[in-house]
Amino acid sequence: MASYLLPRDKLNLFLAELDRFQVWAPVNRGGTCVFEPVSGRLDSVEIDLRHQPLPAKQAVFPQTESFFTFGHEGVPQVTDLTAAPETVIFGIRPCDARSFALLDPVFEDTFPDPYYLIRRRRAILFGMACTEPFANCFCTSIGGDPFATANLDLRFTEGDTCFLIDVITGRGRQIIDAIDPSILRAAAEEDGQKSQQRAQNARGLMARGIDLSGVPEKLTTLFDHPLWKRFADKCIGCGICTYACPTCYCFDMQDEATARQGRRVRIWDSCMFAEYTLHASGHNPRPTRVERFRNRIYHKFKFNLDNYGALSCVGCGRCISLCPVNIDLIECLSAVKDTL
Amino acid sequence: MNNPYLPEIATIVGVHDEATGERPIKTFRVELAGGRDFNHRPGQCAIIGIIGIGESMISIASSRSRGNYLEFSIMKLGRVTSALHECEAGDRITIRGPYGNGFPLEAWKGKNIITIGGGIGHAPLRPLVQHIRDHRGDFGRLDVVCGARTSNDLCYKDELFGLKGADDVTVHLSIDMPESTWTSFVGFVPAHLMEIKPSSKDTIAVTCGPAVMIKYVIQNLLMLGFPEHGIYTTLENRMKCGIGKCGRCNVGNLYVCKDGPVFSYATLKSLPEF
Repeated sequence: MASYLLPRDKLNLFLAELDRFQVWAPVNRGGTCVFEPVSGRLDSVEIDLRHQPLPAKQAVFPQTESFFTFGHEGVPQVTDLTAAPETVIFGIRPCDARSFALLDPVFEDTFPDPYYLIRRRRAILFGMACTEPFANCFCTSIGGDPFATANLDLRFTEGDTCFLIDVITGRGRQIIDAIDPSILRAAAEEDGQKSQQRAQNARGLMARGIDLSGVPEKLTTLFDHPLWKRFADKCIGCGICTYACPTCYCFDMQDEATARQGRRVRIWDSCMFAEYTLHASGHNPRPTRVERFRNRIYHKFKFNLDNYGALSCVGCGRCISLCPVNIDLIECLSAVKDTL
Repeated sequence: MNNPYLPEIATIVGVHDEATGERPIKTFRVELAGGRDFNHRPGQCAIIGIIGIGESMISIASSRSRGNYLEFSIMKLGRVTSALHECEAGDRITIRGPYGNGFPLEAWKGKNIITIGGGIGHAPLRPLVQHIRDHRGDFGRLDVVCGARTSNDLCYKDELFGLKGADDVTVHLSIDMPESTWTSFVGFVPAHLMEIKPSSKDTIAVTCGPAVMIKYVIQNLLMLGFPEHGIYTTLENRMKCGIGKCGRCNVGNLYVCKDGPVFSYATLKSLPEF
């Protein structure tokens, strides 16, 4: 694995070199770290490498996107998705890069979804290793790692004066080769060793965790168990656990129209909302938060395993950190394990 | 890459009032632009819509064996179905599909079939009845059980009463409460089924209707000796995409739109939510 050093103060120069791509990066927006397209406005944004409260998911699966537009004669007009430039997602965390690999089979299945898949295939991932895990991170419990390279094209590691850049894929190699050589220098062996120490350190700092073995099997017997009511009783149904989740993909489709024109949009939706499953007849198969909370846990820790061979969680801990009533996924899964 | 969200344009060529009053039902006959063949199989669904209003998943109520058209029987309930009820022959709608698995007709060859529908629940069973009558040699006895709240609410009433004298199908109709001119069974569909007492021998029972009706019909079929793999139902749930992605129509790990809507009771029984 070839490695390079990029001085921290040259990061913007590096990103500016990527002018044939649409570059997304985490930026400081009013004190909060948010992923945004930064191409052409690097001078006016501050790259923010702190905790990302929201994942980079929207770079490939926007919260709202237009499927097609229409005029008053009602003929759908589709935008050419391949006309957009390729995307570089800089600063994506290893867990969030992994979430794309969990979303892919859903959007590839039976009826491939061109909106997601074209964006996904044209997204180049420049990951940022997690040298300091955040309060509720537990990726190491679920097959992840704070320094994982899987699904990344380049991996950046923060050092005191430089970023260490590890080249993971041929696509990453091509981009590095096109960068102005005066910005980068080859890394020495000791830089790699320091990085490995940082990785060990990060794994050791991971404060939370759970042994998930047996959980999917256990769930097959607990569908009607009172523990769901115990957790759902706290829930206020705000849906932030799903909106902030890198592996959630449920969506709604709506027409926004005036008399003359309009568009059909896809919008993120949430299984935590009553309207999500409400029939026109008034019947609701998941009428209370108990059924809805339970469905969320079963989807992630059983149904996705049945359908796509993997748990639908990367251990980012955002649903725990952002829950306004402190519902804790790890506590819930522990309760599943502890239930006789 | 094909775009599964992009609908094609279809034209309404006929509208038939099935029920009037508080729960109006209309049957729309639809043809695709250029006479394109939708290649639908009995038990499948389509997403139909009106540009600017939205889309709904609707059972296809006609068999391809009847002609190169689609019929949809739609109760006026929500935003899309209310807008559809304003449509007339000549109006254009949109369509996507066909979606879903449909009935396993090959496996059912040589069997007796009994369909048990409640209310508008006969709509997805109607193409099965049509298919069997159009391929009569492939199947055994055919019984059609159909119930409604009142005689006015009975969908396809002209057609079903017209079949009363037919020699290739036996029709059993019911309404929930007595009416002065009604001479057939009065009572709920599950009770009517116990009165008919169909033989379970070499017979497949297919039911569709309100969730509570399906539950009791299945209970009664089991009592009548039908095996779990001889009972089928076609489910509905709220849907948006129709292609197993938007998330909401799941029963357990299966999606009604993609893995269903036709499920055997043996399959459903293994799912936690049913």
